[in-house]
Amino acid sequence: MTAVLRRINVVGIAAMFSVLVLWELSVRTGLVTFEYIPPPTRVVAGLGEIISSGELTTNLVHTLTAAVVGWAIACVVGVLAGLALGLSRATWTYSMASVDALRALPIVAFVPVAVLLLGFTMEMEIVVAFYAALWPIVLNTVAGLRSVEVRLLEVGRVLRLGHRGVLWKLRLPAATPFIIVGMRLGLSVSLVLTLVSEMVGNPAGLGFALLQKAQSLQPEQMFAYIVVIGVAGIVLNAVLMALARLLFPGQMAASGESA
Amino acid sequence: MLETSVEPVGSGRASLECDDLRVTLAGAAGEVDILNGVRLSVASGDFVSILGVSGSGKTTLLRVLAGLQQASGGQVLCNGIPVDGPPQGVVTVFQDYAHSLLPWRSVRRNVALGIEDRLSKSECAQRVDEALEMVDLQRAADEYPWRLSGGMQQRVQIARAIAMRPSVLLMDEPFGALDAMTKASLQDQLQQVQALTNTTIIFVTHDVEEAVYLSDRVVVLQGRPAAVGLSLEVELERPRRQVATKELPEYLKLRHEVYAALGQASAQ
Ligand SMILES: Nc1ncnc2c1ncn2[C@@H]1O[C@H](COP(=O)(O)OP(=O)(O)OP(=O)(O)O)[C@@H](O)[C@H]1O
Ligand SMILES: [Mg+2]
Repeated sequence: MTAVLRRINVVGIAAMFSVLVLWELSVRTGLVTFEYIPPPTRVVAGLGEIISSGELTTNLVHTLTAAVVGWAIACVVGVLAGLALGLSRATWTYSMASVDALRALPIVAFVPVAVLLLGFTMEMEIVVAFYAALWPIVLNTVAGLRSVEVRLLEVGRVLRLGHRGVLWKLRLPAATPFIIVGMRLGLSVSLVLTLVSEMVGNPAGLGFALLQKAQSLQPEQMFAYIVVIGVAGIVLNAVLMALARLLFPGQMAASGESA
Repeated sequence: MLETSVEPVGSGRASLECDDLRVTLAGAAGEVDILNGVRLSVASGDFVSILGVSGSGKTTLLRVLAGLQQASGGQVLCNGIPVDGPPQGVVTVFQDYAHSLLPWRSVRRNVALGIEDRLSKSECAQRVDEALEMVDLQRAADEYPWRLSGGMQQRVQIARAIAMRPSVLLMDEPFGALDAMTKASLQDQLQQVQALTNTTIIFVTHDVEEAVYLSDRVVVLQGRPAAVGLSLEVELERPRRQVATKELPEYLKLRHEVYAALGQASAQ
């Protein structure tokens, strides 16, 4: 419990709060005169409106489902692909050029392709989220498998751990912190790309709601959605980190993420 | 030699020998001869120390004996069988303890690393506890190794080796990071282990007193590339005692001889 409390950044929260107050004051005193920038209190009111109408829940569930399902598939496929690339010299030689080329392509460019292939559907969103999360997970898995120190591999030989033992007891544990980093990066790009695919593709979820609120001149609700999206990202990341600390206490502690 | 060579490796007894061993490593300025014509024969149950100035090739020699480094000439025989890769029953304690432990495993689980798949849970736990007690680390059993001091980390590595019940123990400056008191106590623990198990021990050290005190034979590497310059039998009575043994005229004479050989080595 104290560990959880210690992780809360008091100074950071205070600073954020002051910015909010400053924002409120500058709008109310007429210092800032943009018509469509509502003060925080009005944004809170907007949040109340989208909650009570039920649209927030529907949109939130839609977007998070697409992002998390796509990301989860990417975790499985990405780690397996990373293992194939990181452990077999041959796979590496044959596929690294393609991996580099695909990775260099901006992921957004892939959205219209997905729309063309799958139409305005949830599946399209999931595929986009999957594709977005795949690369950081694959590349970090490969880097992690390569991160094992030569000396530890020698320890494995001296203790006669065998190929299997070396993989399960040395390479994978050493790669775990890297894989977690890949999954965290993957999760945030999954969320972003799901939103993009809702803005330019499937008219549903948080991404489309954001667009709609802007076009129908409801800035309070639009900003409320922005806040919700930000909080959702933070919560997803926190859940992932908590899970990682629970499942891999040693690796997380050794890599500086104390349990 | 001939009798011991029929012993299967890993049975608790093993000999190690090499003749005319040559090692060439790729340095910044091309190939460098590190060892040339090293001849060593260690009978089962022997305690042999290897001394030499820094950079003389002690670690290199130990790595070749361990099967971790390929020789460029000559070969290592373990119980008469040529070594290509770490043989069963031959366990190495590395000089750089900080890189030799798994940072994500607790001390206890580091010590269990080599035996956890070969023994039942309870047998494994018992062996780990024994090994930890031997190096006086029971209280740190659940810590992560990177939270321990250098000397404690080295003791974890020693415990991990002992838990394997090796027939040959190769140790690279294992007590280099320890204070005098801990060092003396571990030296005596090692003596005891060897008396009980008859483990063959090859022990690299910088410390002349330690070498003479522990060994049946002290070997000094000399020259560049290095070869065995001095090989000195130590026939002090066992068990040896930290104070009494080191006051024996015989001990002082041996110590003097080793210092002289090392002085010659560093003058080259
Ligand atoms: N991987 C390597 N590649 C090339 N040269 C090496 C390599 N490792 C060691 N050497 C060289 O081999 C020589 C012997 O090194 P080694 O580590 O065996 O010395 P040492 O006697 O163990 O020294 P110390 O007492 O300082 O540990 C040194 O000159 C070193 O520069
Ligand atoms: Mg050395």
